[in-house]
Amino acid sequence: MAKKVLVVDDAAFMRMMIKNILVDGGFEIVGEAENGLDAIELYAELKPDLITMDITMPEMDGIEAVQAILKDYPDARIIMCSAMGQQAMVIDAIQAGAKDFVVKPFKPDRVLAAINKIFEE
Amino acid sequence: MDSNSQYLQMFFDESAEYLQLLNENVLLLEDNPEDEEIINAVFRAAHSVKGMSATMGFDCLTDLTHKIENILAKVRNKEMVIDEEIIDILFAGLDYIKALVDDIKNSGEEVTDVTDYVKTLNQVLEESNANIKNTEKKEIISVEDKFKAEFEKLLILSEEEEKELVSRLEKHEYIYNIEIILKEDCLLKNVRGYMILKKAQEVGFLAKSSPTQKEIEDEDFGSSMYIKLISTMDDKSLKNEFANIVDVADVNIITERKAEKHIRKESNKSTKTAKDKKKRSNKNKNLSNIQVSPTVRVDINKLDNLMNMVGELLINKTRLEGLNIKTEIYQDIIQQLDRVTNDLHHIVMQIRMVPIGGIFNRFPRMVRDMSKELEKEIDLIIEGAETELDRSIIDELADPLMHILRNSIDHGIENPEKRENKGKPATGNILLKAYQKGSEIIIEVEDDGKGLDVERITEKAINKEIITEEEAEDMEQREKMNLIFHPGFSTSDVVTDISGRGVGMDVVKRVVESLDGQVFIESEKDVGTRFTISLPLTLAITQALMVKINNEVYAIPLGTISETHLISPEEILQIRGQDVMILRDHTIPLIEGARKLNLDVEYGKFKELEEIPVVIINSGERQIGLIVDGLLNQQEIVIKSLGNYLVNIKNISGATIIGDGDVALILDVRNIA
Repeated sequence: MAKKVLVVDDAAFMRMMIKNILVDGGFEIVGEAENGLDAIELYAELKPDLITMDITMPEMDGIEAVQAILKDYPDARIIMCSAMGQQAMVIDAIQAGAKDFVVKPFKPDRVLAAINKIFEE
Repeated sequence: MDSNSQYLQMFFDESAEYLQLLNENVLLLEDNPEDEEIINAVFRAAHSVKGMSATMGFDCLTDLTHKIENILAKVRNKEMVIDEEIIDILFAGLDYIKALVDDIKNSGEEVTDVTDYVKTLNQVLEESNANIKNTEKKEIISVEDKFKAEFEKLLILSEEEEKELVSRLEKHEYIYNIEIILKEDCLLKNVRGYMILKKAQEVGFLAKSSPTQKEIEDEDFGSSMYIKLISTMDDKSLKNEFANIVDVADVNIITERKAEKHIRKESNKSTKTAKDKKKRSNKNKNLSNIQVSPTVRVDINKLDNLMNMVGELLINKTRLEGLNIKTEIYQDIIQQLDRVTNDLHHIVMQIRMVPIGGIFNRFPRMVRDMSKELEKEIDLIIEGAETELDRSIIDELADPLMHILRNSIDHGIENPEKRENKGKPATGNILLKAYQKGSEIIIEVEDDGKGLDVERITEKAINKEIITEEEAEDMEQREKMNLIFHPGFSTSDVVTDISGRGVGMDVVKRVVESLDGQVFIESEKDVGTRFTISLPLTLAITQALMVKINNEVYAIPLGTISETHLISPEEILQIRGQDVMILRDHTIPLIEGARKLNLDVEYGKFKELEEIPVVIINSGERQIGLIVDGLLNQQEIVIKSLGNYLVNIKNISGATIIGDGDVALILDVRNIA
């Protein structure tokens, strides 16, 4: 069965981008959120196998969302979507328990490689 | 639609939104240079634009936004202070971004030359970097080769480290020297390095690493990492653990020494090396916990189609009603149908409504730029930005409002010196306000400038042969003011490139009237000028009064009607050959509908009727009485255009289909009045 993914990014453009990559890679997108608060809510509701999490978002950023989700669901698999220049925040996210990160602009093979590695573990 | 154009469309839509957001927030930033929330909002938006551009492969745009983002990052890190120069640079940057996006929209390529601007950005960034370096000098040496040559030396343990290692050895089996080689194209190397260290801590005890944690965080290392690790795992599974990390190209492991077997409980996991960092600010969290309901983006054409279909449905409903069968079941169905179609219409209208703020928001930036250029001090106050209007109307409104505002800034508000001489505050105010009034939306642009100079307008109009002197004498103040809406009229002696050659104001009138709206001017010398635009809530469906003129049915949109009367012939008076009636002490001119429509009707025939139906119509401050042959009923009509060939028919604004399937023409009563 296809793994279920929740895509979190404030830019619809980015969500569409990553959605297409993931769908092509055989994943099922079960939900989208445009900020950390929505992400937390949707995670609880959908229990996806994976979250792709943007870092800079309004309302609540990706780091706080990672912390909040992992507090209630320590097994959640979260992969950060970062841009160049966000090193410190990615480290925060990894420290908080995010599994890995991918860097924008997304390259489909890189994204899929990173995600597949998460599921291999 | 292929996937690329699908991306492009979204790219355009979203970049426009982000640009708007950027403009608004940079403007806010100008007044609140310390506000972190605003800085963050600007940063986020710039960041998103960069991300989208990079993904789409627009290098110029990516580079530009990246540099802008760098500046913002410096501001955020308090390495740079926001001053007027920075604000101007940011605004210029936004203009360049917009130009590039427009280029892409028009030609698919980035045409605009931004090299000069990028140079400016680089310069600003370098200056700031230089400042930082003066205070905190840091050496950056290429360390790539250093590691390989000094591999052993790098991982030599100090006495204390040796001691700790030995103590640890009691519970671990092996000491490993591990070389981890990262891929050439590894992104965010420091994060990757951090993950590798984290992994090392998970699988064993990390005795020493080169680069150190600090060096990793500063990205001060080459493509290899060396780790001295004590672990109970065998080298193969250890190798797997590391090789499985993304971007790791190769892992080499040397088992240094096999330790004696010891059994001891695993102690708490080492977090010694974990960076002891400040807690991230939780400010954002408290700021706004507003629930945002999920939204869907829909092509406006689909909504237009939907509106059309609802229109068709309404027409058919009206036709069904027209059957008027006197059975209970029919009445029941009609009632249900009526309710459902009404709701449906209401919902479709709601869907099409967008807040007028969408266009209002463009203006603060414009007012700022213009007042700066003209050396005037102007505050723009916006009220009622949340007022909603049909999307198709909103799109059309931007230009007229822009012209009115420009006019107010350029011709209305005086320069500070003049204002002070007049005893007014140096800073002029422009109030941009929208609100709903009944089924109309009112938009007002009010300035406290010098007011319209009616004498000069008249003079100019005569000079330009728009009116004759005789005509001018008969004109009321209001009519004279309206001369500025005449094509080719300009009151400014100096033609500026800002409000141009007076081509603007006639556009205002034309556009507003094409939207079935009206525009009025009120003005008082040295007090100010107010432009009022009134618009219908929606264009497609409206309530109308059906009347009969010469045995044909016509529709009059209800929004224009103030009341209807049945008068007797005796109530008709004549003033200067014009039929009038008196209504509550007001003299109202009477206009015969049939004659206005050029129907072949003998004048005065209506006076033979015992009761003459008169529809009182509002047109601005003016009222007229339209004489018809009969008042029929009030009903919902779907406005259909007459098509391209018939658009210029006088006094008819469209057509609709009525209950019996016949076509009724819609009277353009404002024109008649």
